[in-house]
Amino acid sequence: MSGADGAGCGCAGKGCAEKSPEEIGRRTFLTRAIVALGAVITAALSATGIGYFVSPAFQRRDEDWVDLGPAGTFKAGSPALVEFTQRKRDAWVTSERRSSAWVVTSDGKTFTAFDPRCTHLGCPYRWDAGTSRFVCPCHTAIFKPDGGIVSGPAPRPLDQYATKLEGGRLMIMPKAEQKA
Amino acid sequence: MRERATQAYAWVCERTGLDKIWTALMERKIPEAKGWTGLLFTLGSATMMIFTVQAVTGFLLATNYVPSPDHAYDSVRYIDSQVLFGRVVRGLHHWGATFMVVFAVLHMLRVYFMGSYKYPREATWMAGVGLLLLVLGFSFTGYLLPWDQKAYWATVVGTTIAGQTPVVGSMIADILRGSDAMGAPTLTRFYALHVLLLPALTAGLIGVHLFLVIWHGISAPPKRDAP
Repeated sequence: MSGADGAGCGCAGKGCAEKSPEEIGRRTFLTRAIVALGAVITAALSATGIGYFVSPAFQRRDEDWVDLGPAGTFKAGSPALVEFTQRKRDAWVTSERRSSAWVVTSDGKTFTAFDPRCTHLGCPYRWDAGTSRFVCPCHTAIFKPDGGIVSGPAPRPLDQYATKLEGGRLMIMPKAEQKA
Repeated sequence: MRERATQAYAWVCERTGLDKIWTALMERKIPEAKGWTGLLFTLGSATMMIFTVQAVTGFLLATNYVPSPDHAYDSVRYIDSQVLFGRVVRGLHHWGATFMVVFAVLHMLRVYFMGSYKYPREATWMAGVGLLLLVLGFSFTGYLLPWDQKAYWATVVGTTIAGQTPVVGSMIADILRGSDAMGAPTLTRFYALHVLLLPALTAGLIGVHLFLVIWHGISAPPKRDAP
């Protein structure tokens, strides 16, 4: 085999066989026209395909606000564990999930919602009215009503959910915003 | 920079014979075809171009499609309404499917009417007929996947037609459906055929077909007074 003699290897394709680069012959012109057209078609198709494939990176996340009812039902100074059903849309699948959150208010106007799991190892903590503290039964982590750590093994304050008031109703987004 | 590119090309070329492959594929002699007749010789390439588009868009669709009766239709609707360029990609695959059949048949007609299937190109013709059957297989299996009314009843009709075969008909229909009636196993079966078996067979046969096309060279268009 004379495949490795490298004789034709200095030059890719027909284009370099042309003697003078200034003169554009019929063959060169057609080659360039075909390459240009092909590039346009390939670019259009690739852009579409690549856009389709990478679109999850740029998609706006669904904001899954959950309605917890009239804000007036929450009393200042006594945190309430609210149970709710969350409808989640996962592309072509819609699922329902039972979940809960602790809602705390000090003045009946501003609300804080906590993930009901202790930040230590995920146990469900409870409210102790006598000491006004959240107490985790598993490893005695203790939190203040604003989520701050009092004592125990918790690595960070309680995780919070985003809240907002809409027409007098309390809405929360049950996705933990970790507080460092 | 240019120097290095040339060196890199020479390195690859010396080890792979890229220049010879290029010459054999792209700079081979082809017969002269005057005027619009020349266009008839692009039909095979056009079909292959569509196959490439189908392969790419098919992969993209598969990233968001579920071949299961409870999610197939919803996932197709999700592609159409939620995914960026989803309608374009599905549209390309839909129309590509139609035109793949059209161009394959036109290509076959050109080969037939110009007598290009004759000695020594009979094997090329046979591979081509095999490819046409594979394309029809793609059409039949792909048509079911959207799992809408049209897809469902078309496949009921299609599998019932297969069931009319004497003696072994009901067995063939059961094998196609994966069950004694249309249902979940039909969809997974058609999907597996459509995305795994048929593409592999088609890619292989395209390889054979193209090798033979280049091996024999393109047949010249028939001339007046020539045998």
